[in-house]
Amino acid sequence: MKKATFLILVYLLINSSFAFTQINKKADKEIKKVFSIDNYQLERAINQNFEDFLSKRLLSIISNNQKIGYAYLGTAPSQTKYFDYIVIFDDNLTIQSIKILVYREDYGGEIGSKRWLSQFIGKGLIERFKYRKNIAAISGATISVNSITDAVNDILSYLTSLKTQGVI
Amino acid sequence: MKKIITLFLTLTFAFISAQESQQLNSYQQQFLNLSKLESGLTIGGYGEVTYNDYDSGPSELDVQRLVMLFAYKFDDRVSFITEVEYEHVKEVYIEQAWLNYALNDNTNLRAGLLLVPMGIVNEYHEPTTFNGVERPTLDNKIVPTTWREIGMGISGRFDNLNMRYQAYIMNGPLSYNGAHKLKGTNGLRSGRQKGAESVGSDANLATRLDYYGILGLRVGLSYYTGKTQTIDTSLTGSQVGLNMFGLDARYVKNNFSARYQYINANLSDTSQYNNASGKDLGSQMGGYYIEAAYNVLPIGARQRLDLFLRYEDLDQHKAVDGIEKNLAFHRKEWTFGASYHLSRGSVFKIDYQSKGTAVNNSDAKGQFNMGVGIFF
Repeated sequence: MKKATFLILVYLLINSSFAFTQINKKADKEIKKVFSIDNYQLERAINQNFEDFLSKRLLSIISNNQKIGYAYLGTAPSQTKYFDYIVIFDDNLTIQSIKILVYREDYGGEIGSKRWLSQFIGKGLIERFKYRKNIAAISGATISVNSITDAVNDILSYLTSLKTQGVI
Repeated sequence: MKKIITLFLTLTFAFISAQESQQLNSYQQQFLNLSKLESGLTIGGYGEVTYNDYDSGPSELDVQRLVMLFAYKFDDRVSFITEVEYEHVKEVYIEQAWLNYALNDNTNLRAGLLLVPMGIVNEYHEPTTFNGVERPTLDNKIVPTTWREIGMGISGRFDNLNMRYQAYIMNGPLSYNGAHKLKGTNGLRSGRQKGAESVGSDANLATRLDYYGILGLRVGLSYYTGKTQTIDTSLTGSQVGLNMFGLDARYVKNNFSARYQYINANLSDTSQYNNASGKDLGSQMGGYYIEAAYNVLPIGARQRLDLFLRYEDLDQHKAVDGIEKNLAFHRKEWTFGASYHLSRGSVFKIDYQSKGTAVNNSDAKGQFNMGVGIFF
């Protein structure tokens, strides 16, 4: 038992040297990867007051003075906590990437699976996702799967209304 | 929640500050300040009330378990998870109590009273997560759910590989504390120490890999190895070696769902153990179950009504060493019924079980069950 404890402590020390990836670093990396660019700026996509911006964080991605897409930063509930995610759209409002930035509990973390999240990619504003219909289940992660599916649907509805209003 | 908003404020301001300098007004500042006071306590629970009506003899009505879940988040890296359980109204247990330390995105260190990651139900034992009023017999007689002991280890995920892993060094089942605890009829079940003043003579290793890279499918491999615990390691026949292997799969596609679980356990030194104790512990035990379910309500409806059918075949005397095989330990059981999920987190269950054994000319025993389950 003592030997095992020692081994685990050594493992811990080695592992701690790999620090947590910062949430904005991850978002930054994902945006660069999606558009294959090294430089870009973000600005608020629409004029919002502070509270609206808190609940709907939509940013325009600008490269070479041109709008190339949108990033939506969201928070959604898992079983007992919240997780953060980013959805990246191109200029035509087609989903280019979706990534879980921080997942704070162990159960349900399977939604971070690249393969699973790829179900959303390439879909546009008219798409609506339904758990177990066009979105596959992950056994043991039902709450988080529903949560992110609902969130993406909400984002699509929100963007649709903005587009209809001619705001974006 | 507030802490997360803070996080987002930091993040979004970091993004935007280049474009415009954002001034906070007083209430926004207060909002930020409040967020730093967040306690981080979450409360949840699950429970099941069951009714078993046997072919013969009186029925049993039981508040089988009522569990309170308390989790406390100290910061983004450190949290404490507990499950406080009342069983049959009058027995109190702690089912889980562990500290989680997230070393990085892929690795968590855990220590405390942990669940043994073996099979499906031991880790996912809340009544809304499985069909049937009672848990599968395999998850009672072979995997002694809810199997938990004190230990420490690592757990994590690889998003790119679509995999989750767990590895813990844990205390094991008790075989001898002056009396011999393990017996043929329920294998390791009577040896569970549940973290209560438990005896530790030999460290055991529990590991599990989950793969979910195929849409709708989740496959798990579990491996447990070690020895049972004794107060006197020099005493012949006071402990047995244990190697348990599990393979399980869960599949969900539209209205259809299915699961499969296979468990095999090899026990060494059982002849010495049985000689010393007069017990009838098998040297190999295991079995499998397979279950299919179909939700008859439309997808997207608020409710779900799963009709299911399960077959189990398990044997606590798959192999024996120096004793006679008891054919009554070879169980073949059918269960069919319905799980009516009234909402996410609440379920009404009803089923019928036919429980047979390999004993020649024996009749299967019938059992009708009903129950309610909740999980929030």
